Amino acid sequence: MTLLGSSRQTNAQGIAADTSARHLQLREVVVTATRTEKTLADVPIPVTVVSRQQIRTIGAVRLNDVLGEQTGLSIVADHGRGVQMQGLNPEYTLILVDGEPLIGRTAGTLELSRVAVGNIERVEVVKGPASALWGSEALAGVVNIITQKPQPGTRGEVRLRYGTNRTADLGGTFNHKQGNVGLTVFGNRYSSAGYSLQPASSAATVPPFTSYTGQSRLTYQLDDKTTLSVSGRYFIENQASNVVLTTEAGPKAEMRLRTRQQDYSVTPSLTRCFSDKVLGTLRFYYAGYRTQEDYTYTVDGSTYDASYFRQTFARPEVQLDWHVLPQHTLTVGGGYLAEAVEATRYERRQQMRSGYGYVQDDWTPLPGLNLLAGARFDGHSQYRSQLSPKLSGRYQVRPWLAVRATVGRGFRAPDFRQLYLNFSNPAVGYSVFGTHQVQEKVVQLAAQGQLALDPATGQPLIDATLLEQASNLTAESSQAYNAGVQADPNDKLRLTANFFHNNLRNLIETAAVAQKANGQSVYSYRNVSRAYTQGVEVEARYLVLPTLTLSGGYQYLLAKDRNVVAQLKAGTIYRRDSETLETARLTPADYGGLYNRSRHSANAKLFYNDAARGWSGSVRGVYRGRYGFQDRNGNQILDAANEYVRGYWLWNVAAAKTLRQRYTLQAGLDNVLGYTDPAYLSTVPGRLYYASLTVALGQK
Amino acid sequence: MNELFSRLTLLAAVSATLGISACSNDDDDANEVQPAAALKTETTTNLAPMPRATNPTTGQPGTPKHYAFYNLATKSEVPYTDSATTKWDIAVRGTTILTNGGSSGPGQGGALVQEGLFAEIVAAPTTGYQVDSPTAKAITTGSGKGWYNYNSTTHIVTPIAGRVLLVRTATGKYAKLEIVSYYKDAPATPTGTEPSGYYTFRYVYQPNGSVNLK
Repeated sequence: MTLLGSSRQTNAQGIAADTSARHLQLREVVVTATRTEKTLADVPIPVTVVSRQQIRTIGAVRLNDVLGEQTGLSIVADHGRGVQMQGLNPEYTLILVDGEPLIGRTAGTLELSRVAVGNIERVEVVKGPASALWGSEALAGVVNIITQKPQPGTRGEVRLRYGTNRTADLGGTFNHKQGNVGLTVFGNRYSSAGYSLQPASSAATVPPFTSYTGQSRLTYQLDDKTTLSVSGRYFIENQASNVVLTTEAGPKAEMRLRTRQQDYSVTPSLTRCFSDKVLGTLRFYYAGYRTQEDYTYTVDGSTYDASYFRQTFARPEVQLDWHVLPQHTLTVGGGYLAEAVEATRYERRQQMRSGYGYVQDDWTPLPGLNLLAGARFDGHSQYRSQLSPKLSGRYQVRPWLAVRATVGRGFRAPDFRQLYLNFSNPAVGYSVFGTHQVQEKVVQLAAQGQLALDPATGQPLIDATLLEQASNLTAESSQAYNAGVQADPNDKLRLTANFFHNNLRNLIETAAVAQKANGQSVYSYRNVSRAYTQGVEVEARYLVLPTLTLSGGYQYLLAKDRNVVAQLKAGTIYRRDSETLETARLTPADYGGLYNRSRHSANAKLFYNDAARGWSGSVRGVYRGRYGFQDRNGNQILDAANEYVRGYWLWNVAAAKTLRQRYTLQAGLDNVLGYTDPAYLSTVPGRLYYASLTVALGQK
Repeated sequence: MNELFSRLTLLAAVSATLGISACSNDDDDANEVQPAAALKTETTTNLAPMPRATNPTTGQPGTPKHYAFYNLATKSEVPYTDSATTKWDIAVRGTTILTNGGSSGPGQGGALVQEGLFAEIVAAPTTGYQVDSPTAKAITTGSGKGWYNYNSTTHIVTPIAGRVLLVRTATGKYAKLEIVSYYKDAPATPTGTEPSGYYTFRYVYQPNGSVNLK
């Protein structure tokens, strides 16, 4: 140990320049883990930070480009592209912009491409449940997008990027700060001609779209202790395509489908330092999300179906940070939340309200030891109250080695659709009802003769047990454990490892509660599954040269439905071989776990950045191991080889040159090998070439 | 080399022991009452009723008017004109299976659905048999309830692996039966477009009236 320690010191003296650069990195401040500013290196919770520099070097345009390359995160497609964290679906990760939640999820997925990255200062990713601070949805973790704050001076930037599929991204930022007024403005236009992975089919995989994003922040220093800030955001996307639908009346017809998505928000906030020990924040957040979907007949332009969805979210919140003693920082906060939704798929305007309070103590009992204890209480108008405690600790064992561990609870409230949905698909014919509607609706359908009758008994095909479960929905929850190490064996190498285990209860899944006469089903939701996800995430970063960084990441993941495991242990799940038609009993070893999870995922990256010469570049490879897609042999579980999608690598390269410190030219190629899998991967088009020009304006 | 040698010796020793025990087993058997010769597992393919004339507009074959009747003892189909006799044991049409008893026929027929492997079921239970009635069949109809799962997305009917039908025949004999395919010629991976209602099943029939199905 002494040997190692002394050699480390020699190294440190040897490369003074590197250490100073690295120390800068160590002092990086994050806000998502504790809701206070805290040095990244001291945070007892696993946090990944993606810097502005890195976002630029990879030539990213939207948030999914950024998250998809991070260790332990996978971009999965289900009604949009969402992020899978620690093996949990997108609906279990809270997405924040400057600490306020983005709203507007479709089937649980928040479409990550709604977020432009041009004005992002950094992205913080907190892994493991954070409901103790952030409440519902922060079950797998939190992604917080930190946008640029006004910096002294006046400057701006314009960026144009063009690439394959006529994808154009035009954006600009403006920054001004003088005296006690600061202002940032960001505007972006993003459009694409879309693409089709199966040219034979008439429908495009991704139809053409155009989106606009506007974001701004105004800060005003009222006095030397008080700051007022107002932020706003607006996003709109229009998309149009031609589709062929089998109408309810029977014949197929060509339709024009136009969709529009909008989100907007405004956040006034007031911050005051009451003393050097007490900081108070008062903020109000109002956000809205709207979608509109119109099907019209191409022949005569008449309407076939039109639907809309409008959601609002209003929340006042107050927080106090108090350095009670030199070793203690106490954070206390509370708020009130009113949400409403109005949509074609809901009977009337539905509202829900909740109040919450949270408390956290950040305690440093000994030098090198940090303990973080917190809890949050959420009282809700529509379901059982939730108490989410959490305890974390970090200990600096050696100057180069730290260990950390966290235990905490996370929850996800049933969403509007699970509570109130009232929807019958006009194209396919199935129906979905939320927990508040399902009993009444099933009775109604039966009375209208829309339910299939049991040919033997003449009774409607209703599953009474499932219907009962569907009527009593509660929040999903998890008990999670994280433990890891952080090691810097020498000045060039950093290793981190984190083990995680999420024990999930009351998971909500859809259940077919009745059969319709048209051959389709009536679905609702029920809390049923108990599952776990567990695994280990390892990352290594090595500074090959002062300008060259090599890094690698790997995640091993197991995600299983506990009910299925119990049935397998009891020997009650079987499989019939499709060739020999022989039946065999399955053992727990045959079980591939939950669908859509890769046991192995990895990445390898090489970053080059020579600021003096103005060159930067990167080569990044992201691997997603094989994962389950759907059951094919009728036993409902993932067990046969043909139920998997094969694993794949995506390699991306980019290079940029800055001229006269003002003009930056970048060229890149995503998916260098042109990998596609049209049947299973709708989000992976072939090779994507692009080039961009960035012009910096104003004082440097 | 040494290791290889010792392994070979071990192997020889093991086979010798095995040989001995095999011999002694034979001796034991000779002292016991000789069991009846093992029953044969029969396989029937494509049991299906005659479809009605193809619908000229949809191109789909019409729903069959009658069931297809089958005698497990003679391993042969029985004409539907014999439906009121005890010449048949089971009958199929669509996803519905009848047994010759109760409301379906004059026989002593009945059935129960048991979970397990076909090979593991060595004796028929003597009680618990359901009999067809006008409101419910002995073999419950419906996806997931009886012998099959219906996938409403792919529209494929899959016989549930691990469900064995225990059948009491028209004459009160016992049989075990496992349905392995619902589609014509038992395709390995049905697409749902093949002619359906064509039963492929394997069964063991005990002609002597005992419950032994080994």
